[in-house]
Amino acid sequence: MSNTAIIEIENLTKTFKHAEEPAVNGISFSINRNEIFGLLGPNGAGKTTTISILCGLFAPSSGKIVIDSKNLYEELPLIKKIIGIVPQDIALYPTLSARENLAFYGSMYGLHGKNLKNRIEFWLEKLGLKDTGKRQVSTYSGGMKRRVNLIAGILHQPKILFLDEPTVGVDVQSRNVIIEHLKEINAAGTTIIYTSHHMEEAENFCTRVSIIDHGKLLTVGTPTELINNNTGAANLEALFLNLTNRKLRD
Amino acid sequence: MLNKLLATVKKEALLLLRDKVGLAVLFVMPVALILVMTLIQDSAFKSINEKGIPIVFVNDDNDSLGYNIKQGLMQNDLCYLVDSIDGKPATAELAKKAVSEGNFLLGIVIPKGATTAIRKNVSALVDETMNGSDSLQQQQDSVEITILIDPVAKKSFLNAVTSNLREFISEVKTKIMFQSFSEQIADVIPDRQNAPTNSYKKSQIIHYKEIFASTASDKIIPNAVQHNVPAWTIFAMFFIAIPLSNSILKEKTEGSVFRLHTMPTPYLLLINGKIIVYVIVCLLQFLLMLAVGKFLLPQLGLPALVLGNSMAGILLLTLATGFAATGFGVAVGTLATTDHQAAIMGSLSILLLSALGGIWVPSYVMPQVMRTISSYSPLNWSLEGFYKLFLRGGTVNDILPDVLKLMAFFFVMMAIAHLANRKKRNV
Repeated sequence: MSNTAIIEIENLTKTFKHAEEPAVNGISFSINRNEIFGLLGPNGAGKTTTISILCGLFAPSSGKIVIDSKNLYEELPLIKKIIGIVPQDIALYPTLSARENLAFYGSMYGLHGKNLKNRIEFWLEKLGLKDTGKRQVSTYSGGMKRRVNLIAGILHQPKILFLDEPTVGVDVQSRNVIIEHLKEINAAGTTIIYTSHHMEEAENFCTRVSIIDHGKLLTVGTPTELINNNTGAANLEALFLNLTNRKLRD
Repeated sequence: MLNKLLATVKKEALLLLRDKVGLAVLFVMPVALILVMTLIQDSAFKSINEKGIPIVFVNDDNDSLGYNIKQGLMQNDLCYLVDSIDGKPATAELAKKAVSEGNFLLGIVIPKGATTAIRKNVSALVDETMNGSDSLQQQQDSVEITILIDPVAKKSFLNAVTSNLREFISEVKTKIMFQSFSEQIADVIPDRQNAPTNSYKKSQIIHYKEIFASTASDKIIPNAVQHNVPAWTIFAMFFIAIPLSNSILKEKTEGSVFRLHTMPTPYLLLINGKIIVYVIVCLLQFLLMLAVGKFLLPQLGLPALVLGNSMAGILLLTLATGFAATGFGVAVGTLATTDHQAAIMGSLSILLLSALGGIWVPSYVMPQVMRTISSYSPLNWSLEGFYKLFLRGGTVNDILPDVLKLMAFFFVMMAIAHLANRKKRNV
């Protein structure tokens, strides 16, 4: 296994109870430190299942996962301290304000006192929510909720950040703000694992991407490499459609 | 770890404070229940005690027995007598019709010649005693007093009233027999001047004294307040299961639980935060209900709640009840998959447990099988504990078994929730 890899996955398989086919079927790849790694695939490809396993939400059926040189299931409590997650759904308490939500989630990562308060104010300011931080999240627009959802995942400065479609359903302005700040976070040393259906966004944002479908890894590499190696693909979206075909997915 | 726990407690408290409907369920509903149920039950008692039950009285005897029963019943708090129907003197037929139509709950018919029959029997008895003849067997006339009963009236209630009436009538009958007997004896004894006076009264050597077997130093009178305040408070405390289970399910449906499971914080700590907040809510509910019992109910003309002698016992039992209720809520919230399911599962199971636990109907009036089942309801353990404290003057030692059972229930519920949670995550 590579010395520069922060996440190493070997033969990862996950078959849910009563499922006919595995959601993730023997995939292996590694993610290097400080990368922005795109995990791309159509609906039901196995992206969220892979991220959920990497976050320790549930155990794989088989396979080996090493994160920051630690075996995931032997040292899960330690690994949980260095990861952050921005889930696809808005994982916030609607009747709490943005500040109250962030104070709670920050505390759960062991932050407290002035340090916690300063970090909350820093990020609210940075993502344009300082003036509205007292309002209940239920009164926010979709873009504002996404930004708070993002802050909740990065407040503790994780080594590894999992982003499950962080820009879905938001306007262009919010999307740009989110992407710009994710790049800053990455520049500060955080490895990002990112899933999205926005191929153009992934092509510009990710240093490397993988494409999975039906739980299997189809390809992995830098966007430029993958496009160049695939004749007839002018961009990542064309490559994606070539590999996963145009058939509609459930 | 303490910072995390405090943050969880703060978050839960804020969530609860902003859930206005949930707060109303937790605080307004039990106050309303206590007021309504206590007022209804108290007025039911009062209507019996102050005004009495309407009884139609038919006196065909027109002699000592009929007259004495009528006088006695008129002086009794149990009932008020009516001897005419629609302006006509009441007859056996009219009385039966009036009772069957629901105009009276009860009717009493003293048959014609009842007193004469008693006197005749006494004469025969004296004759048999003095002369050795067996005229009693030949002449014995029975006296049949008819009690008419409205079929709609509740049997348990009527049993109480009719047994009182029977006792009273029997006493009057005995008095007349005793007097007749004394007179007859006096007739056959030559020295009539030495005949006993007030002989019946003198014969009343057995008296009944009713005291409530409580060890409380305060004089605790069992009444609707003493029964209803603890009963409905326990019911409300268990109703905490609904907002609590909803809070757990909301975290699942709103996605927070996904994030929480990825954090370096044990899920048990997050649940403990909920338990702390909801147990505090239970204590506040209890304090509010005590305040209602002590201060508000007397303003409405009801007796004030008497707390007994053991404040430590009350606190301990309230805490144990609070833990049992929150444990139940955690189990419901973990087992249910939707908030709709949790609301139905929670409310129906609490209604069932409360019915079995003697909240609606005292368990001592239940059939043996139901009483046995009732003894497994945590609401029954709590209610029994509060009765010991509020009505029997019990101490901490007396309620310890109930406290232990409630805490055991809490731990069992938490174990069920833990296993269910593990099973759900083991996909």
